[in-house]
Amino acid sequence: MDADVTMTDAGLSTLSPVSHTLSPPSGEIKASPVTDSQSYDDLDRWIEMLMDCKQLSENDVKKLCDKAREILSEESNVQNVKCPVTVCGDIHGQFHDLMELFKIGGPNPDTNYLFMGDYVDRGYYSVETVTLLVAMKIRHPNRLTILRGNHESRQITQVYGFYDECLRKYGNPNVWKYFTDLFDYLPLTALIENTIFCLHGGLSPSIDSLDNIRALDRIQEVPHEGPMCDLLWSDPDDRCGWGISPRGAGYTFGQDISEAFNHKNGLNLVARAHQLVMEGYNWSQDQQVVTIFSAPNYCYRCGNQAAIMEIDEDLKYTFLQFDPCPRAGEPSVSRRTPDYFLVSF
Amino acid sequence: MEPSIAAEELYPIAVLIDELKHEDVTLRLNAIRRLSTIALALGSERTRTELIPFLEDSLDDEDEVLTVLAEELGKFVPYVGGSEYANVLLIPLETFAGVEEPFVREKAVESLDKVCVEMSREQVEEHFMPLIKRLTSAEWFTNKVSVTALFPTVYEKVSDESKASLRQLYSQLVYDDAPMVRRAAATHLTLLIPHIERELIVSEIVPWFMFLAQDDQDSVRLLTIDILIAIAESLGAERAREQLFDQLKKLFADKSWRVRYMVADRFEALAVAVSAGDEVVLKEGFVPAMVKLLKDSEAEVRTVIAKQVPGFCQLVDAETVIQEIMPGIEELVDDQSQHVRAALATKISGLAPILGKEDTIKYLLPMFLQMLKDEFPEVRLNIICKLEQVNKVIGIDLLSQSLLPAITQLAQDKQWRVRLAIIEYIPLLASQLGVEFFDTQLRDLYMAWLRDSVYSIREAASENLRNLTKVFGVEWAQSTIMPKVIEAGENPNYLYRMTSIAAATTLAGEVTVDVIKNSIVPFLDGMVGDPIPNIRFTVARSYESVSLLARAKAAAEEERSAAESMISDIILPSLEKLKTDEDVDVRFYADKSLKAIG
Repeated sequence: MDADVTMTDAGLSTLSPVSHTLSPPSGEIKASPVTDSQSYDDLDRWIEMLMDCKQLSENDVKKLCDKAREILSEESNVQNVKCPVTVCGDIHGQFHDLMELFKIGGPNPDTNYLFMGDYVDRGYYSVETVTLLVAMKIRHPNRLTILRGNHESRQITQVYGFYDECLRKYGNPNVWKYFTDLFDYLPLTALIENTIFCLHGGLSPSIDSLDNIRALDRIQEVPHEGPMCDLLWSDPDDRCGWGISPRGAGYTFGQDISEAFNHKNGLNLVARAHQLVMEGYNWSQDQQVVTIFSAPNYCYRCGNQAAIMEIDEDLKYTFLQFDPCPRAGEPSVSRRTPDYFLVSF
Repeated sequence: MEPSIAAEELYPIAVLIDELKHEDVTLRLNAIRRLSTIALALGSERTRTELIPFLEDSLDDEDEVLTVLAEELGKFVPYVGGSEYANVLLIPLETFAGVEEPFVREKAVESLDKVCVEMSREQVEEHFMPLIKRLTSAEWFTNKVSVTALFPTVYEKVSDESKASLRQLYSQLVYDDAPMVRRAAATHLTLLIPHIERELIVSEIVPWFMFLAQDDQDSVRLLTIDILIAIAESLGAERAREQLFDQLKKLFADKSWRVRYMVADRFEALAVAVSAGDEVVLKEGFVPAMVKLLKDSEAEVRTVIAKQVPGFCQLVDAETVIQEIMPGIEELVDDQSQHVRAALATKISGLAPILGKEDTIKYLLPMFLQMLKDEFPEVRLNIICKLEQVNKVIGIDLLSQSLLPAITQLAQDKQWRVRLAIIEYIPLLASQLGVEFFDTQLRDLYMAWLRDSVYSIREAASENLRNLTKVFGVEWAQSTIMPKVIEAGENPNYLYRMTSIAAATTLAGEVTVDVIKNSIVPFLDGMVGDPIPNIRFTVARSYESVSLLARAKAAAEEERSAAESMISDIILPSLEKLKTDEDVDVRFYADKSLKAIG
């Protein structure tokens, strides 16, 4: 775990607050899942483009986010998910590795997926990655669940790349605004068949039961502290009780905490993401908690494997590890290539 | 021909002419790209007297614009009134040939060459020869670099007297002080040599080669390999050896790895050109050189020479290959650079036809087996992809005995892309091995891929059933494969059940209506009530393909009615049921299939 410290996110305390206006809370819009075939055709066309790593127009992103907000606002803070499902961790804009993930796990909707946040920042293709996942969510809401990670936030994305990428790819911050406004609606946690609890970060000293989470008003920017912040920022640790997180937000929690939480809520397992683990997945706290990280060779330099967790219809789980997808155009000879050969011949 | 332009078309022309002067560079670019339209509208005389001089005045534009302009002018001979006026184009192009930006120069030289081709001999003597002289004796290196490319075309179109003076001018370029000029002269000398009279090669060209081959810049020396090949092709191998062999031996052992890289890269071509099949020359001159290059200290050199091995070995007898060259090849199998091993793996099977059956088994097979276990997947893949060449030499029995254990091992490789490559190779292997062998040795392996943990492997395995059925026939598919597919349909994991549906759907494309009706559709229909919605909508989607396939296949009246009764009795009722499913995706795909089937 020590090795993770250098790669963890800088704390919230280092950031200055950003003013923003919030969209109206849920409940006003009655969710109308995509019904007419015209919208299905649009969506299928968009998804096809996005699978080729081509971004949508600014206007289409706006339509997409409007539609996604309708669907996500109907979802619970503790979204119920049925098995079988394949659970995935951080993606961080590594679009081509997300494609590799689908090659390993199977395409959606054929395979059901649950992503535990951190779609954006760090990688070069945050825009394409998050647009694709949101488009897939709208197309097949029952086949894909997307949770909120600590990077699905206005403040963090201004520091770690998503804001700059939107500006570079669209020439203005509108797309960033559409997405960050949408992020407020993402569910915080998911519950698979009442036994596996999935979330981005970890537990919170302010939360004893799943009902505590259900009672939160999640439609807001990720706060600097409090239960909603903790769910997206905390980490398990080899200790007892609660500790101060080196990230500057959330807490670290010991095995006694996760055991008590799982016992009280009738859970078998907490599945979470948020931390780089070299093998792609990592059991901790006597199998009370598992960490899943789905960005191979994180930041294109960490050398880690990625993993996904397939949960079958009997709740048996299998971990599939994978490496970065082979990149086209990488030199086949490692050292010097005689440059002027190209010019002369 | 002077095409006339209607009045309503003149307005856009005026706009284009304005855009030629526009301050926005994209508009200027756009106008330059349509320069021929403007010229056509102006007519050839005004193009010569107004447009070309105007363009000459705009020569200090941005490089981007000049590049396009230099290119356009190469197509301009018809617009200035045909070849008799072609010389007016030389003035702007000559200027472009001397600018700093290489892209502009490159296009200018190409265009000058095109214009030269269109000019008469008299015009070339009158206008092009002076241009060559000016460019060659210019102060700045850019002109001299550009002019080297123009010699071959000009040389063909001038008198003997001018030819002599062209050689004199080229000689200045070869001996120029600037390495850039010598490099350009060396590069284009290769193209000029075929035009030069054979009797002049020894007296005039060979000294240039000798000079360049001893240049203190390795970037010049490496260009002389191609010159040497060109000289040998012109002189004939024997006279070339008298003149050049000593110098070639020095290049073989050049202290710069870039030069040795070039030698290695052109090794077979050099050997062909210089030896012309002379055994003594090959054995005494080239074989030792190859042996040394195989042991070169630089991985880049070993990589390129590895690729030359089979091509060169064809030139010498098998005995020499085994005695002299084989030890060096065997060392490359263990080379520390994976790129060297990967290069060798793509080419080594080319030795099999040279060695013949017995020696292939003795020498190549052990290397194959070792490379099939290489830690670097690309090495393994390259070997597998070329197995067929070996198969032709040693026969399938031996190949299967020796290589099947390795293939079985690779079939379970940790890297899924290695497994994928093996799957793609299986139909080929199957066609060579025959049904019996496949069923006893490979079938279980194959079926295990349908339960692979990686989706892409399951998909490829199910897709490749199509090719296997093509090899072994419908009956085999029905009696051997269908039972296995049906068995896989009972897997407790929905992902594997989904693969069995995909496999059954693939098979439907290759089998008869009868098999579709009696095996495939009953199997699919058994999964309509699956507890997992993903399975139900996969069946709904599969029903669309299966129905359309059955209809397309049904040729005879009997088959048509069998297909239609299957659709109306089984498929449509099931789809209607799925259309009212509790899951929205199942309803969607059932509805879609119903509409498609009609």
